[in-house]
Amino acid sequence: MIKDENKKFSIKDDFSMLALLIIPVGVAVNFVGGQLASLLKLPMYLDTIGTIFTAMLAGPWLGAVTGLLTNIVTGIANPVNFAFIPVSVVAGLVTGAFARANFFNVWWKWVIAMVAMGVASILTAAPIVVLMFGGVTGSGASLITATVMAAGANIWTAFIGTEGLFNILDRIVSFLICMSVIKVIPARNLIKFSCGKFYIKNKKEEK
Amino acid sequence: MEKTFTEKIQICKKNKIAGLYPTTKFQVVILFSISTIVLNSIKLTDFKLALLLIPWFLLVPFMFAITGEFKKCMKAMKAISFIAIFIMVVQTFIVSGGKTLWVWHFIAIREKGLQTGLSLCFLILNIAGIFVWLFQSTSTKEITRCLEDTKMSFKVAYIFASTLEMIKVFSSKSKIILDAQRARGVETEGNLFIRAKAFIPTLVPLILGGIIGSEERVLTLEARGFSMKGNKTHLFNLKKSGYERIILTISIIITILILAGRIYLWIMN
Repeated sequence: MIKDENKKFSIKDDFSMLALLIIPVGVAVNFVGGQLASLLKLPMYLDTIGTIFTAMLAGPWLGAVTGLLTNIVTGIANPVNFAFIPVSVVAGLVTGAFARANFFNVWWKWVIAMVAMGVASILTAAPIVVLMFGGVTGSGASLITATVMAAGANIWTAFIGTEGLFNILDRIVSFLICMSVIKVIPARNLIKFSCGKFYIKNKKEEK
Repeated sequence: MEKTFTEKIQICKKNKIAGLYPTTKFQVVILFSISTIVLNSIKLTDFKLALLLIPWFLLVPFMFAITGEFKKCMKAMKAISFIAIFIMVVQTFIVSGGKTLWVWHFIAIREKGLQTGLSLCFLILNIAGIFVWLFQSTSTKEITRCLEDTKMSFKVAYIFASTLEMIKVFSSKSKIILDAQRARGVETEGNLFIRAKAFIPTLVPLILGGIIGSEERVLTLEARGFSMKGNKTHLFNLKKSGYERIILTISIIITILILAGRIYLWIMN
């Protein structure tokens, strides 16, 4: 096991040159993930893979910046995305915090982390969607939300019930994809990221 | 006469509004958004509808037109209009509460639904519309350069520019990888499970390539003195169109008038 001598993490140390260059990669992966999901006609968004990946490798602050930049860049084409900046930022922060705490080494810790990530994203998305968009955003899941609302359900329960379910499923799939990528990254690359060492230890145990 | 390289890469806009300095445009966007929110709080007629937002919205296409980018902007507005209209329909016909205004079989329009539907729809159209104007009339090159000028760290500007490039590169790369995997026999069509299985063999090489490539980019950047402290020279420079003051003054006056009107209405009631 690699002993961690300086447990204190400063934000400035987080933003090293290599970590900075991971941000564009993360944003591009978010973008391409969403594109691929619609190309393969999958019933999911899968547009947070890059944010989760960056956060898992380089910690919460980098994850948050990746989330922020993703929504700014997609907002250039469709400004509605600006409203969802907090959701992406929180997704990055929460995932990064779990990565820092070395939560991704045992399977039951994964489950806790995934559920927490899903819950955090619903809790940030719900007020935005309900108060600013009246519960629907024009996506596929919105049609279900609208139907549930028409059946007489409260706007908050309707949104959290339908979109929440989609969100948690989305997070689980994104997370599993990130994990499978991290497993194949060579150790010499992993060690350069602030949270990378946790995954190297994983590899040794498996052998 | 033959243009030099530095002359070729400068952006020269004939339209004075489109050529406004990006910061000025951003200030106009902020003032417009504030005015929209203030106008939304003024409720007219017996049903308390935010009707003033509808004439206010006419200003958005007007802005598109005077910038000379009408077609481009309208194209970008399509997705937004879809969301706005969807929200309006859902709110008007589904949200219950208040008096029932109109009934036809099972469809009914209720007072409260109409109120929130109308104001949400036009809030989104107005604010998203003005952002469309900002981004359609400003190229990303200008935004990046402006980020540097506003005393932001040059790293921020670089990351922004690099992100936009990276998206293009990754989009084309993902198509190449998908084709290559297809050639190897990975199925990309069929039922949901088969399609989902094609997702991972496409994304994993893409991310791996990105991670390993970024190490090389660090070396390249450092070799060119990226983190060097000191003044930097630029090949591309932003020019002011000369109309910044006038446009900003007009926007501030309109915003103040709207605010004054709002306060006047408060005092009267």
